[in-house]
Amino acid sequence: MRPESNRYTFMFAFAVCAACSLALSVVSEGLKDKKEANLAFDIKKNILKAVDLTSPLPKNAGPASVLDVYNKKIEEKVIDAKGQISEGKSPDDIQEGEALYPLYVYKENGRIMAYCFPIIGKGLWSTLYGYFALENDAMTVRGITFYKHGETPGLGAEIEKGWFQNNFKGKKIWDTKNITLIPVKVAKGKAKDSVPVDKAPFYVDGISGATMTSKGVTAMIDRWVNVYEPFFETVRGP
Amino acid sequence: MVKMFLTKSDQKIVKEGLWDSNPITFRVLGICSALAVTVQLKTALVMCAALTFVVAVSNVIISALRDMIPSKIRIIVQLSVISTLVIVADQFLKAYMYDVSKQLSVFVGLIITNCIVMGRAEGYAMANPPWKSFLDGLGNGLGYSCILILVAVAREILGSGTLLGYPVIPQTFYDHGYINCGIMVLAPGAFFFLGIIIWIQRKISGYTEES
Repeated sequence: MRPESNRYTFMFAFAVCAACSLALSVVSEGLKDKKEANLAFDIKKNILKAVDLTSPLPKNAGPASVLDVYNKKIEEKVIDAKGQISEGKSPDDIQEGEALYPLYVYKENGRIMAYCFPIIGKGLWSTLYGYFALENDAMTVRGITFYKHGETPGLGAEIEKGWFQNNFKGKKIWDTKNITLIPVKVAKGKAKDSVPVDKAPFYVDGISGATMTSKGVTAMIDRWVNVYEPFFETVRGP
Repeated sequence: MVKMFLTKSDQKIVKEGLWDSNPITFRVLGICSALAVTVQLKTALVMCAALTFVVAVSNVIISALRDMIPSKIRIIVQLSVISTLVIVADQFLKAYMYDVSKQLSVFVGLIITNCIVMGRAEGYAMANPPWKSFLDGLGNGLGYSCILILVAVAREILGSGTLLGYPVIPQTFYDHGYINCGIMVLAPGAFFFLGIIIWIQRKISGYTEES
């Protein structure tokens, strides 16, 4: 076969594709367990970060100590769409498409400190995955983290930075005056420039240059706070 | 010791990439990643290892295939080989250095479009045997690494007051009003240092753009 013939070119291209795909499948499959273990560990670390532990983890805490703290202080629960706790179920049991939602309860010496739940939603380029935690009053935000996203570094990716996440601490999702749910929103630019004073507890500073990502964060908080609202209603009481 | 393994001409190939035609200071290629990953030394080191691996191994593979690759599709074949290697490197990082891989985010993936890798594949490996191509890739990878490490050391010390995460600026400095230089954390900090390094390197090697 002539090396420059079309037939040879096609066959060569096919062989290259096959070889590359094979190599990638082997590597991806071979490292699968390790990658999944990393992800599972990272999720636990993020839950601990979102609930804002009263005695924070040391910066270079090893996997063993993180898991130890997690197992001691976090209770994994599952709630249904009506906000009732499904006894005897763990978040791992939830099947796709089931109307059941994981809930992580942070306890310190038996006292409930915070409720934490996953938030998932669209950013600009990618799906954002994170955790959102409320104080035990079920009105005040205790923390938020994002552990997986594909937003632009320096712009949308700022959502994973401390300055953005710390903004949320102490903000509200519940308006005690009017007794309504107002999930915290991301403002455009600095919250104090664009939001009236009486609305200030419901807004955090936005990320300049990342309006779409900010809107995505607002939308995902709104969606998931509403999903968990039946449960938080029972926490707040009548 | 190096002399035991490498002949004179082999050493010349490595030195070419490291010094005489260093991809960053001489060709000014691969600058985007050099700016992005040099805020901390740790990310820079991982990035250098990944890039050196990709450029050396892709050079060998492409060089071994060079007589078989149809010229009509040679660029896309090179890209397929390079992107496969980059994804392999990325997967290993995700499995064994999860935190660093999160910090590097898209930049490991962007090695695929790094001009150095494509440039060496097209410019050197397509015309030279595998062993020479390997040395050329190694030289260029290390040349890139040296500059990145220099920039990263300077930026991490001046910008964050740490090196590999450990504090190096004594606390008494801070007590007396020393403040970390914020611009070093941002991209312009890397530009200043790259400019200075390029200037010094060209001063010594005597290279000028106009002849």
